[in-house]
Order: sequence, then structure tokens, then C-alpha cells
Amino acid sequence: MKMSGIMEVIEQAEGGRIKLTPEQLCARRARSIAIAFTLGAFVLFVFAVTVVRLGSGGLAGPDYMRPVEAIGRI
Amino acid sequence: MSLTVARAEPSVAGVGDYIELMKPRVMSLVVFTALVGLVRAPVPVHPVMAFTALLCIAVGAGAAGALNMWYDADIDARMGRTAGRPIPRGRVMPGEAAGFGFTLAAFSVVSLGLLVNVLAAALLAFTIFFYVVIYTIWLKRSTPQNIVIGGAAGALPPVIGWAASTGTVAIEPLILFLIVFLWTPPHFWALSLYRTDDYARAGVPMLPVVAGAAETRRQILLYTLALTPVGVAPWLLGYTGAAYGITAVVAGSAMIALAIRVHGETRGHTASKQMFGFSILYLFLLFAMLLVDRMSGGLFGHFVA
Repeated sequence: MKMSGIMEVIEQAEGGRIKLTPEQLCARRARSIAIAFTLGAFVLFVFAVTVVRLGSGGLAGPDYMRPVEAIGRI
Repeated sequence: MSLTVARAEPSVAGVGDYIELMKPRVMSLVVFTALVGLVRAPVPVHPVMAFTALLCIAVGAGAAGALNMWYDADIDARMGRTAGRPIPRGRVMPGEAAGFGFTLAAFSVVSLGLLVNVLAAALLAFTIFFYVVIYTIWLKRSTPQNIVIGGAAGALPPVIGWAASTGTVAIEPLILFLIVFLWTPPHFWALSLYRTDDYARAGVPMLPVVAGAAETRRQILLYTLALTPVGVAPWLLGYTGAAYGITAVVAGSAMIALAIRVHGETRGHTASKQMFGFSILYLFLLFAMLLVDRMSGGLFGHFVA
């Protein structure tokens, strides 16, 4: 089973490139779409959180990271 | 040889296999208990920030699940309950699961730290570390106390939720931690009583395998006796109203009654199976009532208090 698996892969190779089976192509496409969707959602998500934090002044950070004058003005 | 094949064969793993690696049922319990910790905190939290925290905690739990399946693939393949997982089935290669788990772990911790707060991120990182390294790699294969100590990882999400909301840790989330911590042994030992052969075949030193069924039944009863008063503690300490208190007393009494039945069971596993099933309901009821109590402002309770 294992050796035949290797042989199949070798036999599928054309010009040094592995030719994927329809099942492998389908699985790869599904994974690629899922990764694209996840990354897109992550970007939108970070954007949304940034907007919320900007709105609440949360991005100003803790007092010890700001100059004394700035804290005084706030 | 098999490793060579694993690298040579292009992957056929689908999205569903990767979702399965994240143990969605465990993840749902983690998210639920973290939500309760977050909502119980006395600080109003923006819905987007609450969602962010829960998402990061969910992804962190998924990372821990994937890393657990990566390391335990040999054990999983020998147990009937876990033989159908993606790695033993050959759908996902161990290296792929490890890469997936480490990536999710890093993303979840860094995102929680940058978007919510550092304490919550540190607690999430510690939880993943504890579950993967302390429980999975070390304790699970070496001691029958594996799930007792390892249970700490599953008990931390309410504390992370609280920390995400407040940036601190207080007594109340530590009580929630203690409830889940003491709930874990009777829950898993009830399961292991009727899966003893599975664990023995896999070489996992669960309590029934090492100390026998009688000792396991005794330990289930002792832990249930310890769990019940801790379950009522949020009410006794004035954190919740009477509705929660009554639920905790009634559900706790049912847990004790079942533990006594398990203790006295000499043939078959009917009581153990009932105990396992009811323990899930018990934890759900307690945490659901904590949620309801916060939403209703502890309305019922203050009649009595």
C-alpha cells in the first residue's frame, strides 16, 4: 500500500511536476478558499476593532508610555 | 517508510478535517465558560471587544486541540473513541496538524494581546502551554492524576474571559475555575469506567486502568462531594441570586445521587454513563444560570439575600 502510494506519485509525475488527482485538486482548492476567506475576515476584523478602540481612546495606551505634558492635557 | 509516503503524497485534507482537528465540541464548552467569565465581570465591555476576546479564546482552544491530536496520534489510533480522528484516518499528516496548531496558537495569543489586553493573552498562552505540554506530553502518559492536574487547562477559560473584560483576576472567576477544575475528574472518570479497555490498549494510565474500577468509583464520589459546595459558593458568597443557588443545590444533589449510584454499581455501566451525561448538563446549567443571573441583575436572589 505504502510502496504503491510512492509508485503512483512517481508515475503521475510529468516533467518533474506531480499531477494531482481530481480529489487532491478539489481539496487544495477548498483549503485555498478557506484560507483566503479567513485572511479577509481577519483584516476586516482588525479594522473593526481598531475603529472601536480609536473611538474609545483605547489606542492612546497606558499613561506611562506617554509624555507627562500629554497626560496633563488629557 | 511511512514518513516518506506522507511527504510524497499531496494532501487530500479538506476544510472539515481541519475544523475537526480543533475539537469543536470542546471549543464550544470553552467559549461558553469564557463568555460567562466575560459577562460576569463588573465592567461593561464593548460587544466588538467581547467578540474579539471570545474569538481569540476559541482559536486558542482549537490550537490546543490540534496540537493534542498531533502529539496523541499514536494513542488515538489505538482507541475506538478516537480512531476516526483526521490523523489516524490518514486525512491529515501529523506535521500538517502541528503546523496548523502552532500557527493558530501564535495568532490567537498575539491577537488577544494586541487587540484586548496582555493579561488575557498571557493566560491564554499559559492555558495552551498547560494543555499541550503539561497535560498531553507529560501527565497523560505518566500518571493516573493526569486529568486532575490537566483539568486546570479546561478550567481557565472563565478566568481568561474575566481578564479580557477587566484586565485583572478576582475571587469570582477563581471560583468558576474551581467549579470546572473539580468537575473534570468525576466527568472523565465516569467515561473512563466504561472505556477502560480502550485506555488500557492505548497504554494511557487512567485511574480505572491503574487503580481499578472500585477505587475510581470512590474517587468519583469524593470529587463530587467536593464539587457540590463549590458549585453553590457563588450564591453563598453573594455573587449571584437565589435562582442560581437553587439550581446549584438541586443539580449538585442530583450529581451526588448519581455518584452514589456509580459507587454502588457492581455490574454494567448504566450509572457511569448516566453520570457522564448528567455531568455535562450540570456544568451547562450552572454556567447558564450564572449568565441568566447577570442578565437579570440577580433579580430573584435579592428577595432572599
